[in-house]
Amino acid sequence: MLGRVPFARRTLFAERRRAALAVAGVAVALLLVFILDGIFAGAIQQVTAYIRTSRADAIVSQQSVRTMHMSSSALPPSDVERVRGVAQVAWVAPIRYATGIVVTPTDRQLAYVIGYQPGRRGGPRSLVEGREPRDGEAVIDRVAARGLDVPLGGRVQILGRPFRVAGFSSGTTSITNTIAFITYRDFGRLRGSAVSYVLVGGRPGTSPRALRDTLAAALPDSTVQTRDEFVVREASIVRDMSADTMQIMTFVALVIALAVIALLLFTTTLAHLRDYGIVKAIGGSPAQLARSVLVQALWAVALALGFAVVLALGVAGLINRFSDNIAIVIEPSSVARVAVGASVVAVIGALLPVWRIARLDPAAAFRSAL
Amino acid sequence: MSTEFALAVSKLTKTFGTGDLAVAAVRSVDLDVAAGEVVLIMGPSGSGKTTLLLMLGGMLRPTAGSITVAGTDLAVTPERRLPQLRAQHFGFVFQDFNLLSALDALENVELASNLAGVHGAPAHRRGTELLERMGLVHRLHHRPDQLSGGEKQRVAMARALANDPPVILADEPTANLDSGMGREVARVLRSLADDDQRAVVIVSHDARLRDIADRVLWLEDGTFRELDAMAHDPICGMAVETTLDHPHLERDGTLWYFCSTGCRDEYDARPVAESTAPAPG
Repeated sequence: MLGRVPFARRTLFAERRRAALAVAGVAVALLLVFILDGIFAGAIQQVTAYIRTSRADAIVSQQSVRTMHMSSSALPPSDVERVRGVAQVAWVAPIRYATGIVVTPTDRQLAYVIGYQPGRRGGPRSLVEGREPRDGEAVIDRVAARGLDVPLGGRVQILGRPFRVAGFSSGTTSITNTIAFITYRDFGRLRGSAVSYVLVGGRPGTSPRALRDTLAAALPDSTVQTRDEFVVREASIVRDMSADTMQIMTFVALVIALAVIALLLFTTTLAHLRDYGIVKAIGGSPAQLARSVLVQALWAVALALGFAVVLALGVAGLINRFSDNIAIVIEPSSVARVAVGASVVAVIGALLPVWRIARLDPAAAFRSAL
Repeated sequence: MSTEFALAVSKLTKTFGTGDLAVAAVRSVDLDVAAGEVVLIMGPSGSGKTTLLLMLGGMLRPTAGSITVAGTDLAVTPERRLPQLRAQHFGFVFQDFNLLSALDALENVELASNLAGVHGAPAHRRGTELLERMGLVHRLHHRPDQLSGGEKQRVAMARALANDPPVILADEPTANLDSGMGREVARVLRSLADDDQRAVVIVSHDARLRDIADRVLWLEDGTFRELDAMAHDPICGMAVETTLDHPHLERDGTLWYFCSTGCRDEYDARPVAESTAPAPG
């Protein structure tokens, strides 16, 4: 920007079609980043849905085991009574857990299998149809059931044993897997008597951290985390597993954005090279002209970012509405991250035009053509 | 007219290249321009006019000599300070108008104020006043492609005045204008000297501008020649030295000088009554 006259903006948008196409190009590249980020955030929400909605204040697991995803935890059954004996504990819900597959004669779906005590905590967050399972029965997610074409009362195999579907739960199927609930007793019969995790609720007035510390002192051979800590660890392991892919995809999208911004700025600079020469001749310093190119870059990115956010929210809304197992979550942190990345891209994209302008001879304004 | 020099040039020299390939575009030129004075520099193409103007405006570093404006010698001023000096001490009027195509007339003028450090309402007010003075109050928000040639040059002159400079440098200011507009531009340039006490240096081929000039200098081969001691080619009107090295011929007791043998031959072929019509300069 040169003083108050919006030279940078006017020059950038002097050729509206070119500017609009370039802004659209950058917006599409940023949209790609948002959607990737959104799918990832949605997947994390889905993967952590069970623990997040469990209402447990603290979770006890085998020593050094801090997640369910890609983990196996085994606690001695006596630990459940030790937890119950802690003064601040209001309720205890032991669960058994394994990664398995829900199989039908025609299809199969990767699943976390959770054994819980029906009528107590640790089961599905909500039943949308049917009832809690009895021995020999299972509750599976409605979306998974639809995908597997299993009706209520239908039969599936879980952990190698047949189960009758007694109910449908919701909100626990992601793009990669689902959760199947069976009884605590059935699970014990299939996989042994060990307890995987103990969900613990504190008495009113007890903070999750205080409960965690008390439990940790009472069970020194176990790991105790608050629910929030558990969710963060769970999200982190999912993120770590997908980080490389995400980073590569984000990098590619930002490179595309960089190419479009650089092309826009360079073509705009070349088209207005004479104008820059004139401004230099009448007293514009190289720093002022460099600033005007940077302002152009930031304008392009700001507009593209705005469009990309609106488009991403629209796409996320549509996908969330019409897709059962893909959730797209556009988080403010994602917008902030992309904004920073895009700003860096804008600055890099401005370097070549700035260099070209720096070399421009102000005397060129006295020549008929540049 | 004040006798204080707004622009003082001493022993100004510009040589391009080195050794055997060296070409001296401007050779040891002296020039003092007072406030309120209009100096017209004429000369054939390639004589060094534009090179001289670029040096005067701080856009080309001289090989030797000094250019003093407001107590500052541009020849030795660090490169990084030259844009600020240009923005504060010079107004430029270009042959091709050189308005910024993306800005309207008022913004073109305001931008020059901005570069000189004046922003916001004062810059806006100054721009409006100057365009009013140029008779363009109805064209404030028109872009250059919506203006006629004369209007563009008047906007360019308003821009040249935006920073209230003591020196105006004009490069062929009437070259792309019809005769009426050319006269109007010449009148405005004269008024900048008379009314505002600015020093105006004009580089031009346009002989009509001699009417508004206090001094006319003839630049040829990089040095000033005494124009009073020069004749005008009766065919093309160009000033030529009155030395027998130049093409010449005598007719009816008068010695005529020509820029080339072509002009001399053309003149020689004319009947006597017709050929004696133009008077030597």
